[in-house]
Amino acid sequence: MVIQSKRRRVLPGFGLSMGYTLIYLSFIVLIPIAVLFVKASTISFSEFWEIVTDKRVMDSYKLTFYTSFLAAVVNAIFGTLIAWVLVRYHFYGKRFVDALVDLPFALPTAVAGIALTAIYAPNGWIGQYFEEFGIKIAYTQIGIMIALTFIGFPFVVRSVQPVLQDLDRQYEEAAATLGASSSQIFFKIILPSIIPSVLTGFALAFARALGEYGSVVFIAGNMPMKTEIVPLLIITKLEQYDYSGAAVIAAVMLVISFLLLFLINFWQWRTARKHQVS
Amino acid sequence: MIAKEPLNVKRVGAGRIPLAPIRKWLLIGTALGFLGVFILIPLLVVFTEALKKGIELYFAALKDVDALAAIKLTLMTAAIVVPLNAIFGVIAAWAIAKFEFKGKNILITLIDIPFAVSPVIAGLVFVLLFGSQGVFGPFLETNNIKIIFSIPGIVLATIFVTFPFVVRELIPMMQEQGSEEEEAAITLGASGWQMFFRVTLPNMKWGLLYGLILCNARAMGEFGAVSVVSGHIRGLTNTVPLHVEILYNEYHFSAAFAVASLLALLALVTLVLKSLVEWKTRKNG
Amino acid sequence: MGIKIRNVTKAFGTYTAIQDINLQIQKGDFVALLGPSGSGKTTLLRLIAGLENLDAGKIFFNGIDYTAKTVKERKVGFVFQHYALFKHMTIFENVAFGLKVKPRKIRPTKKEIKEKVMELLKFVQLEHLADRYPAQLSGGQRQRIALARALAVEPEVLLLDEPFGALDAKVRQELRRWLREIHQKLNITTIFVTHDQEEALEMADTVVIMNHGKIEQIGSPEEVYEKPANAFVYSFLGKVNEFKGESLVTNFPHVKGTEEAVGYIRPHEIVLHQQSNENSIPAVVIHINKAGSTVRFELKRLDTDELFEVEMTSDHYKKQGPFHKGEILYAEFKNIVLFDRKTNSIQTEKNVQGEVVSAISSYMS
Repeated sequence: MVIQSKRRRVLPGFGLSMGYTLIYLSFIVLIPIAVLFVKASTISFSEFWEIVTDKRVMDSYKLTFYTSFLAAVVNAIFGTLIAWVLVRYHFYGKRFVDALVDLPFALPTAVAGIALTAIYAPNGWIGQYFEEFGIKIAYTQIGIMIALTFIGFPFVVRSVQPVLQDLDRQYEEAAATLGASSSQIFFKIILPSIIPSVLTGFALAFARALGEYGSVVFIAGNMPMKTEIVPLLIITKLEQYDYSGAAVIAAVMLVISFLLLFLINFWQWRTARKHQVS
Repeated sequence: MIAKEPLNVKRVGAGRIPLAPIRKWLLIGTALGFLGVFILIPLLVVFTEALKKGIELYFAALKDVDALAAIKLTLMTAAIVVPLNAIFGVIAAWAIAKFEFKGKNILITLIDIPFAVSPVIAGLVFVLLFGSQGVFGPFLETNNIKIIFSIPGIVLATIFVTFPFVVRELIPMMQEQGSEEEEAAITLGASGWQMFFRVTLPNMKWGLLYGLILCNARAMGEFGAVSVVSGHIRGLTNTVPLHVEILYNEYHFSAAFAVASLLALLALVTLVLKSLVEWKTRKNG
Repeated sequence: MGIKIRNVTKAFGTYTAIQDINLQIQKGDFVALLGPSGSGKTTLLRLIAGLENLDAGKIFFNGIDYTAKTVKERKVGFVFQHYALFKHMTIFENVAFGLKVKPRKIRPTKKEIKEKVMELLKFVQLEHLADRYPAQLSGGQRQRIALARALAVEPEVLLLDEPFGALDAKVRQELRRWLREIHQKLNITTIFVTHDQEEALEMADTVVIMNHGKIEQIGSPEEVYEKPANAFVYSFLGKVNEFKGESLVTNFPHVKGTEEAVGYIRPHEIVLHQQSNENSIPAVVIHINKAGSTVRFELKRLDTDELFEVEMTSDHYKKQGPFHKGEILYAEFKNIVLFDRKTNSIQTEKNVQGEVVSAISSYMS
């Protein structure tokens, strides 16, 4: 009797909703992902090592990480700047600009891909001016970085913006009354408080860039060992019916993505705890 | 003003007065410049390229048989995927936000997985499951069921990539609202369903709508995952984004941009609706 | 409805909120659950309502075991601390909710519901707000609507969680009087939670004082104030000066305290003189607050440097005073009460002459 009442919960539907959640989650996400790892583990370690260390694969990993990282750095800087402008300044059309920041989230990646290619191609809107100086953007690593910057920058803006909004102006005013200059206030007061959110935004943009496909394939040129990103390589392997090759490359990519996700969650958990204590 | 200031008079913070507005407009200018290059120009390009060869060709591209089939398939996919993920979102958010249990954080992280998975890998896992060489491949073949290179595969891949959208909007909102209103309903004699439909559902409606809008935008625009499982069969398994790709790769640039402009319009409508919901919740909250 | 709580225990994880509690509430009683935050009073109220499940023990309503009954079956009226009004419903719909969700067979007709709701709104004097939404109401109005909503289903027990906690002082005063009136009119068993001792003593017929998940004392307001069962109750109900250790043993020769004892005395029980006598202790005036009907002093003992507070009526002050800041006065600690520091129970009570008297009777002098 007592044991029974202990298990009963006051609000109804826990068992039902939890059961449904776990089943749906398992069928849609967990089992398919598990199958990928199972598939990747069916081959021997030497085969695995051979696939991963293949020059074309290694170059593709290097390219993906290198361009994703640089794009995330650019986004961290400009995303923070945009968040700052949106929170601290008032100007005509601000709300419109604020809404537009989310466009990369809302615009289908294929559309972004062909639009960016049209802009940065040698005869494109912007590409033609660089072409005059012999600089190519589309079909090079720069083009890939531009596409990755496009899809990543809202992450940083949307991470930093709420933190800046909640930042109490009193700290800055206190620093000012104590004689700090405005650059001192920025680097000693504001930056330390927003840096965790900048890093979160950076990590989110980085993670997104690692897996991005649609906006990159059109502008990348897709030259093996030069401008071939990992997701494209996976598709190429699939088209050659090399299922285990595709699975191995994907599994390595996934592990890295999960580590990033874990790191972000851990980071957020730690900063949340730090703020609770203080 | 500044020039009239006698040079030998030192005022407190004299340097800051003329500097602040310069810095302000410099920062605003940089931000707007960045947004202009990265947002406005791509949008403009889509519409100008689409209309470059005239309005007739624009509409011809949209009325093309294959284009219409792609639009139909995309709408149908969204019509299946969005309700499924919305129902899951509501049910999962109820379990996670209203009850305490061990492993809650792990569950939330697991729900987040599709956000961390490359769309291409999302497509790949379903090929590994249901493709001709996949786990269920032989079984499906003997029973003559087609999932990969067919509509069910497109639907599955789209469900996967849009899986967390609704539930991730609902959980924080419902956690913030707490359970007092539900408890009040129960003390007043409401049954579980009465409580859910009269109290819980009306309270989550804006969050739900927000999640639906985002989920729908992604479902209609998904490219990578669908590209892997679709097989690009014209008129049969081509969604709108895939149709754009095909047209583009065949150098029908204007037609590609014409179809793309539909998706760009969808994105703009999404942004407007999203802003409206945000405005509405801010007003209510 | 009479409620009996027998050996009830409730823990949240490793934290024990309610520890083996026994409590009997008579039909029609007006009970205050009083205690500091974290004392388990809200948990106890929610256990009675069925909003929490107990780990051990039983709860009886009118002698019937209700331990396993659901919230719905218990038919209690519950007023939440933050009212929990349904934001998306009008005031009318809020109050009508409990009637509308009844099974079709016993549900009143639309007309009956309307009449009943309007009657209740009239009862709480807010019938003009029927079409408003909760967000458009003041805190006090929301509180009254929450009560009307709970009363609509005609509960036999009314449970209120910190009913006035979120209101400002003036509205709180008003609503206290009003709630008492309602209890008198309807005479339903009412239990409310509060951390405000003044509120509990002023309103309730029975006060249950809780601390650390246990009941420290149950009694009428007079009983608990005049006969505090232990040091906690004494110090929780009203202001108190505390003395212990060295300063208690050596400097109150008349009190015969021991190292294990702690001595309490209320500020109004200390008498100040301008001349010393055999039992007085010299102290210097640190601060005088003459605002209001009571004059408050802060003094520092010259022997131990301990600070203590003294209160006297302004009439008395006019006769004796005026005193000044920095002046040395002689304080007579008339009714110091000793509690055992370990068990917290009353040790001895001695007056100035060292005679054992009933502390209770002298408190009121």
